Amino acid sequence: MAAKSSLLKVILLGDGGVGKSSLMNRYVTNKFDAHLFHTIGVEFLNKDLEVDGHLVTMQIWDTAGQERFRSLRTPFYRGSDCCLLTFSVDDSQSFLNLANWKKEFIYYADVKEPESFPFVVLGNKVDVTERQVSTEDAQRWCRDNGNHPYYETSAKDATNVAAAFEEAVRRVLAVEERGEHLIPTDTVNLHRKPRSSATCC
Amino acid sequence: MARKALVRLIRNRRTCLDFSYDVNANFTIRLAQLFSCLNKSGEKNKKEVRGGIQCTVSADERNVCFDLLHPQVIFEQEGIFIHSSTESAEDQDSLTAGLLRILDKDGDILVEYKPMEDTVDPSNMLCAGKDSSSVMEWTQCTGDRGHRLVEHQLSYETEWDMLNTVSFKRKQSTSGEGWHCSLDRSKGAFSFNVGELKSIMVKTEGWSRLVFRLREDSGMPALHFHQGGSEAFLDALRRFVHLVQSPNDESCLIVSSQNKALSQSFENLLDDATFGLVQKFKNDPYTTTLGGFSKVTNYIFDAFRGPELLHQQRPAEEVADLLSEVIPGLEVNQQEEPGFEVITRIDLGPRPEVRRREPVSAEDWTEHMDIEGKVQNVSHLKELIFKGGLCHAVRKEAWKFLLGYFPWDSTRDERKSLQKRKTDEYFRMKLQWKSVSEEQERRNSRLRDYRSLIEKDVNRTDRTNKFYEGPDNPGLILLHDILMTYCMYDFDLGYVQGMSDLLSPILYVMENEVDTFWCFVSFMDQMHQNFEEQMQGMKTQLIQLGTLLQLLDLSFWNYLESQDSGYLYFCFRWLLIRFKRELSFQDVLRLWEVMWTGLPCQNFHLLVCCAILDSEKQKIVEENYGFNEILKHINELSMKLDIEEILLKAEAICWQIESCKVCICMSHFILFSIHLPPLLSGAGSRGQQSEQSTPDLPLPAHLLQFLWGNPKANSVHKNNEQNR
Repeated sequence: MAAKSSLLKVILLGDGGVGKSSLMNRYVTNKFDAHLFHTIGVEFLNKDLEVDGHLVTMQIWDTAGQERFRSLRTPFYRGSDCCLLTFSVDDSQSFLNLANWKKEFIYYADVKEPESFPFVVLGNKVDVTERQVSTEDAQRWCRDNGNHPYYETSAKDATNVAAAFEEAVRRVLAVEERGEHLIPTDTVNLHRKPRSSATCC
Repeated sequence: MARKALVRLIRNRRTCLDFSYDVNANFTIRLAQLFSCLNKSGEKNKKEVRGGIQCTVSADERNVCFDLLHPQVIFEQEGIFIHSSTESAEDQDSLTAGLLRILDKDGDILVEYKPMEDTVDPSNMLCAGKDSSSVMEWTQCTGDRGHRLVEHQLSYETEWDMLNTVSFKRKQSTSGEGWHCSLDRSKGAFSFNVGELKSIMVKTEGWSRLVFRLREDSGMPALHFHQGGSEAFLDALRRFVHLVQSPNDESCLIVSSQNKALSQSFENLLDDATFGLVQKFKNDPYTTTLGGFSKVTNYIFDAFRGPELLHQQRPAEEVADLLSEVIPGLEVNQQEEPGFEVITRIDLGPRPEVRRREPVSAEDWTEHMDIEGKVQNVSHLKELIFKGGLCHAVRKEAWKFLLGYFPWDSTRDERKSLQKRKTDEYFRMKLQWKSVSEEQERRNSRLRDYRSLIEKDVNRTDRTNKFYEGPDNPGLILLHDILMTYCMYDFDLGYVQGMSDLLSPILYVMENEVDTFWCFVSFMDQMHQNFEEQMQGMKTQLIQLGTLLQLLDLSFWNYLESQDSGYLYFCFRWLLIRFKRELSFQDVLRLWEVMWTGLPCQNFHLLVCCAILDSEKQKIVEENYGFNEILKHINELSMKLDIEEILLKAEAICWQIESCKVCICMSHFILFSIHLPPLLSGAGSRGQQSEQSTPDLPLPAHLLQFLWGNPKANSVHKNNEQNR
């Protein structure tokens, strides 16, 4: 089912200013601009990659982080294969808000089994010297909230960025492989390509 | 010789109502005739509620007003068949055609099926019969047999695209069947609450058929979708119940217990009742009706705008006469119905050629000042600015007027004392946040959040612009302080992302903290709704933009709809910050000063959107862009747009719409007095007023008020038109 080059939709969520757009740009274009405009509305970029022999096209969606824009971004959650929960290690509030982001995502993305849905947690800006969130605290949160993989990244100096996105792909593929044992192989994956899922005329 | 015109209203792609009128008759008489059809009982001030449309008739019988009520019909499709004795498809004789609907009854979502015999009961029609003394004729639907339905669909779909959506709803069934499961086996009618639904069997053999299974396990007849539409029905249903494919049987959709909130779809942004209506456009004739209204009613703007202009410029007779001429753009077919003209298509006509001028120079500006520093001939000056913008040297002064910080009729001395007052006021507010201690702030999460985000955002606003580049740029401190002070000015709104984009060009032009602040306050007065909690301004504008797009190019609009892009999400950034991120910095300054003139109509920025989309639509359609590609394509237009070209096109579109007399006339006859205040907002007291004070033309003037609602702007625009 997930053979050949399949499209994975990955969405970056987190407070305003934690570096969602910078992570996306670092990963896709390998560039960093500290003065990049904050995102208004919704944007996405595609990136082709190979993970463990699987060719995938990752479609990375980047949204405006401010609470006010919730009604704009949430419609884009649907159909996501993975959610990257992002905070900034120099901003404890953004770390505290992770739970809210996760909740918002599960609610609006219409996730059927939140327990097995792949989340990856990114603690960004590790290049900054004045940390407000310790690695231990972040790891503990990830362990206590569904055993999510945790990556400390820096979009600025490219630390762990590719690793985090590749982990996202691995998690999605793992979930799908598990799923294949349960679902007959000829079913249409409604989740992936909603438009081709015509069940009737 | 009396010339008659036939107007055919089409509902659900079927002829619903034909009526003819004497094109030479006084409009008021025609309207009265029509209205006597509508309300045969003749009661005054009568209110009738028919399936979501409330018809109110005023005491003088001159105002017929249709109000849209709470959305009731979420989905509706006729021509759904039950094969009565058997489910076999070959058994043609036992077919029963019926109407399938999803209804919202006070929050209960119901699926209802009624055989046609019931649903076309004449007593349920809004108009109960023919009035031989009237020129209006009501022809009952003819398409209640499936095969004819198909014919109509093919023959009218294209030629009636401007008209085919005006309809009257039938009366809601009030037979006390309750809103739970009910099944009248003798007729095949049934209805049930979606909460009762357990599963749906979907079988496709040539066409689709659905069988509902309820929790109580009462068997339902199979519904046959001979003309398709089962997918649309299921899509509509999915908004209320969660349907998942059964792991054992792929033709079985099981209702999952998980509650499916409306907010999981695009309705999230567009979640109020009004917008909910518009969203249901595709599946719901009731709202299709709404869309149809808006297509044509857009043109009610000018002739019926305000009392003075009305009487001077377009008396009712004159407007009526317009139809008796052969109006360019109106396609009239006399063959189809001998003795009648059938209006088959509306053409907006060619787009006029417009020119732009040189920017207003410092000399031009000073020439418009009298000895006391009062601006002379403001409308002329505004027109010059609209046509050419401002030289940069003039901006610092002129923007204060354009934004409304300085009154146009103020003298130099008055402005000086105003500035002095405003300076004190500014620093008083600035002191307020400056004097909040760290400890206080620790207990004030909102202020803390505002400050944190402002600090982050000013660091990433226009940093490639020389004015804001480099570390420790003083411009950043000013942006920060002004935004913080604005939080004190309007703490409820506070800081919302996007505001720094709106502020930065103003500071760049003003180079003065206090003036920048007050100009920003004025700008925010215009933009406030965009940033409010419910984003009402954004919703309204997206609806209005949709209305315009339908009008300008219905096929492009249909394409967008077909790609789930009718919500125009891709225009969000354009509208939120007025193209700030789409254009080069200098072009933003030009566009904004042009927009602030209020010429040639209000909300000119919506026409700017139309102009940009007009240039992109060919590529979008030819490349067959889907939802994602459209979003990406539009996002990537940023910094590639030519402002002068866009302004030329936007202005031309404005005149093109303005000169479309046909639509004005059509709207008389088709729409009578459709009253849609919540949809096209701004339809408050002004609309009421114009209705009351213009008895000869009982059409509310406000339907396109978002373009031509402001009488001042309009009088200037008139001048402009003459000067062209």
